[in-house]
Amino acid sequence: MTAHPVPKKISRRQFLKKSGWSAAGITVTIAVSNPFVRNAIPALPTFSDPELESGLAWVQALPNGHIRFFCPRMEMGQGASLGLSQIVAEELNISQSEIECVLPDTNQARPFKMTVGSDSIKLFFDPVSFAAAQLRESLRDLVAQLTTLAPDQIKDGKGGFVLPDGTSLTYAELVPSKPVLVSAERQASSTETLSRYAKQLKSSFQAIGQKWKHPELEAIVTGQTVYSRDVAHPDMVYGQALRPPAIGARLIHVDASAAKAMPNVSVVFADEGNDFVGGVKFIGVVSDSPFKLSAALEAIDVQWEMPENLNQDQIDARLDVDRHRNNGDFEHILAEEGDIEAGACEAIIENAARYDTSFAAHAAIEPRAAIAWVKPDQTEIWCGAQDPFFVQKRVALLINRSVDDVVVYNHRMGGGFGGRVQCHASEEAAILSAAVGKPVRVQWGREAEFQNNHFQPGYSHFINAGVTDKGLISHWEHDYVSSPIMTGPMPKNIAWVVDKVMADSGTSRGSLPPYQFAHQRTRYSDIRTEIPIGAWRGLGAAPNAFANESMMDELSTRAGIDPLVFRLQNLPPKSDRLAGVLRQVAEFSDWKTRQSKASTGLGIACAVYKGETPVAVVAEVFVDHTAREIRVTKIWCVQDCGFTINPDQVENLVMGNIVWGCSMALKERITFAQGSVEESNFDTYEILRHHECPDIMVELIDSDATPVGVGEAALGPVAPAIANAIFAATGQRARRLPINYDSIFSDV
Amino acid sequence: MEIKINDASIIVPESHRNITLQAFIRDYVGLKGTKFGCGIGLCGACTIHINGVATRSCLTFVEDVIGQQITTIEGLAATVSPNELHPVQKAWIEESVPQCGYCQAGQIMAAAALLNHNPDPSDHEIRNEMSGNLCRCGTYARIRRAIDRAAKES
Repeated sequence: MTAHPVPKKISRRQFLKKSGWSAAGITVTIAVSNPFVRNAIPALPTFSDPELESGLAWVQALPNGHIRFFCPRMEMGQGASLGLSQIVAEELNISQSEIECVLPDTNQARPFKMTVGSDSIKLFFDPVSFAAAQLRESLRDLVAQLTTLAPDQIKDGKGGFVLPDGTSLTYAELVPSKPVLVSAERQASSTETLSRYAKQLKSSFQAIGQKWKHPELEAIVTGQTVYSRDVAHPDMVYGQALRPPAIGARLIHVDASAAKAMPNVSVVFADEGNDFVGGVKFIGVVSDSPFKLSAALEAIDVQWEMPENLNQDQIDARLDVDRHRNNGDFEHILAEEGDIEAGACEAIIENAARYDTSFAAHAAIEPRAAIAWVKPDQTEIWCGAQDPFFVQKRVALLINRSVDDVVVYNHRMGGGFGGRVQCHASEEAAILSAAVGKPVRVQWGREAEFQNNHFQPGYSHFINAGVTDKGLISHWEHDYVSSPIMTGPMPKNIAWVVDKVMADSGTSRGSLPPYQFAHQRTRYSDIRTEIPIGAWRGLGAAPNAFANESMMDELSTRAGIDPLVFRLQNLPPKSDRLAGVLRQVAEFSDWKTRQSKASTGLGIACAVYKGETPVAVVAEVFVDHTAREIRVTKIWCVQDCGFTINPDQVENLVMGNIVWGCSMALKERITFAQGSVEESNFDTYEILRHHECPDIMVELIDSDATPVGVGEAALGPVAPAIANAIFAATGQRARRLPINYDSIFSDV
Repeated sequence: MEIKINDASIIVPESHRNITLQAFIRDYVGLKGTKFGCGIGLCGACTIHINGVATRSCLTFVEDVIGQQITTIEGLAATVSPNELHPVQKAWIEESVPQCGYCQAGQIMAAAALLNHNPDPSDHEIRNEMSGNLCRCGTYARIRRAIDRAAKES
């Protein structure tokens, strides 16, 4: 902790009071050097990583001896709040029953980074363990003051301390029933020396590494968990926005007189919101009954002009790697080494192929919902968001309020996967509530969820590579195009500059394979279309791994080298962890002895998620020519995510990634016709169903290394392992996702 | 004109006869454990029991179930014991099945109904009977484990 200017301390205290901290108990604090700027325009998601001291106000000792933890990660099934709670418990020597984990509303915590990118443990391990350890040492200081003992004479005990004479002092005995702020500043010199148990040897852990169960489990299985769709307000009315039927549709006529004439129905025309044309930006209805909404909306006579040029073949043509190769126009060179042509001269085998992946939707089972109540002096929002502080900023901007006057109460999400950074339902509810002055509930249907999504963009890759007589990769030339993901929602007038300067870090995630090439070049172009793009599980990691790992398989099989051996012998030095998961998954799956036989094959693939989490997958596929279908029968996965806080939770997430990967490989595809999403429900946008789910076997590497991302890490290798297994089973290559039996075997 | 939901008699207002059972349960009765997912019977999140049989409440109209016994996730445990969770709910906790949890009420209702009529289902029978319940987080493998456990322990 460096010296901070002192004057800010007062505002810090006021902030903590405002934040509900004034509930009795002890909170450690420091002066805050960076006052928070919350009225930023335009409203952007919350990107900044936490600093070490960010977390002090997240952990609080309560008079009953329990520890309250305001978890800076939102819950959508990934269980980050559980892992972080275990870290808190480790530092404070408490059991699971003594920790009260709270998902804070925007008044209870300073803005923290949106919950994305599988980085909850990676980024928050340090600030959370630091905060909890600081609180523990502050409590120890308190004991020292009370007893005149030196702090180092006061030993840790269960839920408290033990004095030299053997007396136990629990936190409950120490924490007064009035609010106390303890300054951490006098310990400023001890930042480096602060003992953090969570960072010590795992053999001594009492909470970390244990298979704690999520505290929400019983509520979930009894239907008591309140998702944003389940929130009710006693005075609420029910609203729905009229949404355009297609991306880029123009409103050319509206007559709401019939709807206005309906009893207990209000029609809202507003200037806020997104870009409707014709002087109106927003049209919605509000009713006293949820059962009247559809009829009210249908009673509005509207005509739209549909866009003419937003058909799938037109979009595909813009995202066509061959066209860009013919023009030679790639904005970004992501890697360049040696000389491709010189490399090609050393090749005894050369192979070129094109790989394509589709647009995709999040398809979380909970369609979005929110309640907003715009009052004269305060606005309250109940929603389920990956970034509640973004909701707060967006709503404030839309209804012209100060950010500090908007409170967002965030609920557990019924699936996030990147799709709940955007907060349309909250925005619509806020506009409607501002118009009618009552709390308004907005719930989207499934069709709205598909039509108004921010999509995973399609990818188009070309890879040309070769193998030397020594079985090494002679050269690797990779060109690809897709749409920017991280900067997808950015306004057009600045987006083109951003695209020129840098390749989108989300779209290009994982595009540089983990192998060693003497001669290589990877080029990429950001192509914006009118299709709204947003983060989808793993962002570029999965499409890029599909292209890279399919090509690795093509090279190895053409060179007659076992695909596992080929990967291992092309890894650069210091690839021990990736080599480790590859070898282990081979052993685990019986790779060497399990022979591919007629119609059944094994495929292998690997990737290193964000350059940090090595994962290897073996898939077993059965191609049923009678039923004309491809079935994934088994998947083995080995992941090295470093030290594992909760192995049970991590296994569950790895399994989830495998199911998602199978779904992406075999089923998922969004298409557009005149700007309209052609898939409107789970009959046309299919996701993997229970009977299609393979047997899944997961092993985690037992490791002391720093924890790294898990939430979407295992996704990348799944689809290529399946495609490679199809080749092993049938000799046919699947180079386009989703893989469909008929498209591969129609000519066979 | 009434229906029984979790053993409580609910009088159906005339104006609500032709709404879906799902909307009635959630927005009239106020039981929010039964979820909305797709609205047309494709995802199973709204699964409830009618006289013990798994049914999609989004495809069922109130007027078609007048006089019948409806069980929702909130009332499932009480069908077996007054003060304990249902064996399927217990197994779900033992196996830590849920991730986001949103689809799980529907999964549990489908699994409980499966075990009602088939106490010892094979892997194949579990897969087929559960295929109407989608889980986007991908908990299918743990659901199978939990159903196996519930079958063994009940």
